[in-house]
Amino acid sequence: MTFKLTVLFLFSCLLGFSQEKATLSGYIKDVENGESLIGATVVKQGTNLGAQANEYGFYSITLPKGQHTIDVSLIGYQTFTFAIDLQKSITKNFELGEAGQDLEEVVITGEAADKNISSVEMSVAKLDIKQINKIPALLGEVDVIRAIQLLPGVTTIGEGASGFNVRGGNIDQNLILMDEAPVYNSSHLFGFFSVFNPDAVKDVKLIKGGIPSQYGGRVSSILDVRMKEGNSKRMAVTGGIGTIFSRLSIEGPLVKDKVSFIIAGRRSYIDALVKPFLKASSPIKKADFYFYDLTAKINWRINDKNTVFASGYMGRDIFGSTVFKFDWGNATATTRWNHIFNKRLFMNLTAFYSNYNYYLAFTANNGQGFKWNSNIINYSGKADFIFYLNTRNTIRYGAQALFYDFLPYNATGTFDNATVKFLADKRYGVESSVYVGNEQKLTQKLTVEYGLRLSVYSYVGKGKAYYFRDTIPNTTLPLESTKQFSKGELIQQYVTPEPRFSMNYMINKKSSFKASYNRMAQYIQLISNTAASTPLDVYTIASNNLKPLIADQGSVGYFRNFRDNSIETSVEVYYKYLQNQLDYIDNADLFINPTVENQLVQGLGRAYGSEFYIRKSQGRWQGWVSYTLSQTKRLVRGISNDDWFFSRYDRTHVLNTSINYDITKRLNVSVNFVYLTGVPGTFPNSKLQVQTLNIPYNTDNIRNNYRITPYHRMDIGATYNFNVAPGARYKSSLVFSVYNVYNRRNAFSIYFRTAPGDPLQTQAVRFSVVGSFVPALTYNFNF
Amino acid sequence: MKIKSASAFFLLISALAFFTSCEDVVQIKLDEGSKLYVIDAFVNDMAGKQIIRITTNDSYFSNSLAPAVPNADVILKDLTRNKQFKFDYISNGNYVMNVSPSDSLGLVDHQYELRVTIDGDVYTSLSILKRKASIDSISSQYFDGNSGFGPPGPPYYLCYLNAKDKTDANPDYYWIKTFRNDSLIFSSSDINVAIDGSNGAFNIEGVDSTLFTPPMTFLGFNQFSKGSTCTVEIHSISHDTYFFFIQAAAQINNGGLFATTPENVKTNIISPSNAKTRAVGWFNMAGVARKTTTVD
Repeated sequence: MTFKLTVLFLFSCLLGFSQEKATLSGYIKDVENGESLIGATVVKQGTNLGAQANEYGFYSITLPKGQHTIDVSLIGYQTFTFAIDLQKSITKNFELGEAGQDLEEVVITGEAADKNISSVEMSVAKLDIKQINKIPALLGEVDVIRAIQLLPGVTTIGEGASGFNVRGGNIDQNLILMDEAPVYNSSHLFGFFSVFNPDAVKDVKLIKGGIPSQYGGRVSSILDVRMKEGNSKRMAVTGGIGTIFSRLSIEGPLVKDKVSFIIAGRRSYIDALVKPFLKASSPIKKADFYFYDLTAKINWRINDKNTVFASGYMGRDIFGSTVFKFDWGNATATTRWNHIFNKRLFMNLTAFYSNYNYYLAFTANNGQGFKWNSNIINYSGKADFIFYLNTRNTIRYGAQALFYDFLPYNATGTFDNATVKFLADKRYGVESSVYVGNEQKLTQKLTVEYGLRLSVYSYVGKGKAYYFRDTIPNTTLPLESTKQFSKGELIQQYVTPEPRFSMNYMINKKSSFKASYNRMAQYIQLISNTAASTPLDVYTIASNNLKPLIADQGSVGYFRNFRDNSIETSVEVYYKYLQNQLDYIDNADLFINPTVENQLVQGLGRAYGSEFYIRKSQGRWQGWVSYTLSQTKRLVRGISNDDWFFSRYDRTHVLNTSINYDITKRLNVSVNFVYLTGVPGTFPNSKLQVQTLNIPYNTDNIRNNYRITPYHRMDIGATYNFNVAPGARYKSSLVFSVYNVYNRRNAFSIYFRTAPGDPLQTQAVRFSVVGSFVPALTYNFNF
Repeated sequence: MKIKSASAFFLLISALAFFTSCEDVVQIKLDEGSKLYVIDAFVNDMAGKQIIRITTNDSYFSNSLAPAVPNADVILKDLTRNKQFKFDYISNGNYVMNVSPSDSLGLVDHQYELRVTIDGDVYTSLSILKRKASIDSISSQYFDGNSGFGPPGPPYYLCYLNAKDKTDANPDYYWIKTFRNDSLIFSSSDINVAIDGSNGAFNIEGVDSTLFTPPMTFLGFNQFSKGSTCTVEIHSISHDTYFFFIQAAAQINNGGLFATTPENVKTNIISPSNAKTRAVGWFNMAGVARKTTTVD
């Protein structure tokens, strides 16, 4: 593989220097607020010679010397066209203005072939925050994660469940990046709201397949969330008063066009609203139940060649009373330095810190009690280079070192006569990786991207390693021996080469065929055997007992645009094969257990499906419809008679519809409709009576043998904008939404119990998380 | 384990505070499972009636007593003193042995074998009778019924257990049964099992709390009225029996956002490999500490 790559690079280089050329490079920004425009394209008219602005808005395009007509464009912005006589390399920054407020169908002139057709990217969904804002949301809270769940290939097991499932992957298989730092728990209030404050988010990109070599560490998807840099032109305040949260963000230049910042915060206030109505004697009078988050970023554009950014996030959910306390949250911090070595070489250096932790305590009146905390901390440094070799080759390469510092539990019990401490050994891992990839335009029609990521994971001391003896599947493995390792000493190492490949064959300007393959390795998995993951669930890192999770995925797709690219359609088919996915032995003891690894088993997974997508992103009517037909199964030794069984997030049919319509300049209405096949469940086929208990029992021993009823739901929303005059400074809007408008009680699960009050009667119970329609009103402002 | 379920419960409560979650009893059609014998053999060292129940499994939604198996031959053997006891069929699947107050079926540290013969197939299981805890007293406390939520209810008493287990590095497992006026308070939510008298979170060798601690000592927050009797029995159980109860409790009422993956409970009844019908169930020999108090 490496040899082939080298040959290709040499070949590319020869191609590159065979003609006299010059480079045009610079940044592309929004004229209104100075935010860099990720993904804007710079294309020589009538060709596929072009470049895309990277995550920082930087582009570089190398063309033969001479006359060129160049289009600079991005969906939702006016295309800027200019002619240039390129004789030497020059820097040119662009500022694009938003496409006019004109609500007539916008006709894109020129030849700018749409990016979804021309780009080598596939299985990628991008949502900008303006689109997300238009989707009717639960309790009126605009939410990045819930918006993503409306995209093809993305599902959830139900309301209130944290995280999301991508193409048959578990929730821990998504790398959720907030300004490049991983976020371990993306939810507030279990899974109802995500940790991303929409006022601070600029761009959301979900990569489900054909994952380029610069990404690694999770096997199913990358959710790359970029925060706003902060308005570099003027001070601006954005906020909202909603049913659950109130939001406020302030952004602006500290030095115009040089230094800008944004600081955004949210806090839920249901506690503040409820408390005045509680009796003084009520046990929840003194209780805390709220969540908050704070996002901040500052960037300093030192000169044309250097920009530095610092950003941070902190959020927490807090529940508690005098006897009980429970809180959890993430904190991340990122610093970055963008440096342009020359017109063709761009570098980004990143250092980040990420910490997820929780704390739980019970204190009885007599002083007896119990305290428990756990955390996972990451430190990482990485360097990414983009080398715009020539018009046909863009090479990305880089390296990353990621350090895991992980405390499974630290518990203290206080009794009458003693205090007992249970402190797990901390566990440490180092994940190092290097990658190189090249996006190469082989011909006018054929573009390929190929690369290799090599990840090396080391499970290291200081700590105790446990060694188990193999025994009957699905039982606790007996402990054979333990060994103490000193600081930094290697306990176990895994090396995984991860090849990546994607290609795009443009059939014509309106349609293309794409294919991709990627192998991904993941050295950290979530331990959770509950229906929805709880904030108490801990991650565990690969070790001498747990092998890394490996996934191979291949996908092919056909992309076709209609009506001057205003309607995009695609069909994709994928197949994914997973190795070493975590599962649990029966009756697994997963908490405060030093030998938790013998409660875990690793098995195989396979997922395949097809995704149909149609989207209209211009004009008064906008929105999308997607349909996914898929299957996800697992095979684990000792479970379900050693046969493949449906994974608990398997959904055969998924239909997502999200439509919005501008009735007037002031009034926008929107509707969502979703239909999902019910998730599988393990149902009993008999009961055992033991000591008067009715114990459900499945004599076939098959896991996930039934399906709960289908999930479907419609949400509606309307947004009324108060000030729409061009140049109006104070803008505000009122958003009314109804979630679950036809009041369906969708089953989250069906479970079985003995009827209360009748020890002989057993019954099936449907548990619905949202049992009625949920109306909400939100007022948003911006000045 | 207990900690886990307690916190999951709290999580759910908090979620409910925000949303209109709801539960509805629904009609669904389930397949019929193949036939199994169910052997329910919790035998102890107390005098009086000792019962071993043998039934078959039943349709999940059946609302009658499980079908009885009347034609079994049920023998309990004390392997340590080489003595055997025969249980005789009475009704409803119950096989009974009457133990006179001067005699005892069970002795601490003795090993017992259960042999059940049905249609020529012999089903067996082994159990060792574990050492007993000791109950110091049962205390009670008056509550005026005003919880702060809603209208006040009638006053009531809660009873608390004051008990000790043996202090050494060997863990002891107990099943705490509470009786109100001599009738057992028992449902899936009343399964009160303990490791070393504590709540199972301290399941670590060498750690022993000596005294029984909350939440075990709360006796399931069951309410008593003045003048009623509260009886507590602490049955010594094996490590495996403890986890049988934990697993059964998790399966019996497995709802909510944080339900665990449903699984078949493990069983300690061994069926012959060529058995016409497989047997499941549980056998445990317990030593019992018992105390009764009148609430006032």
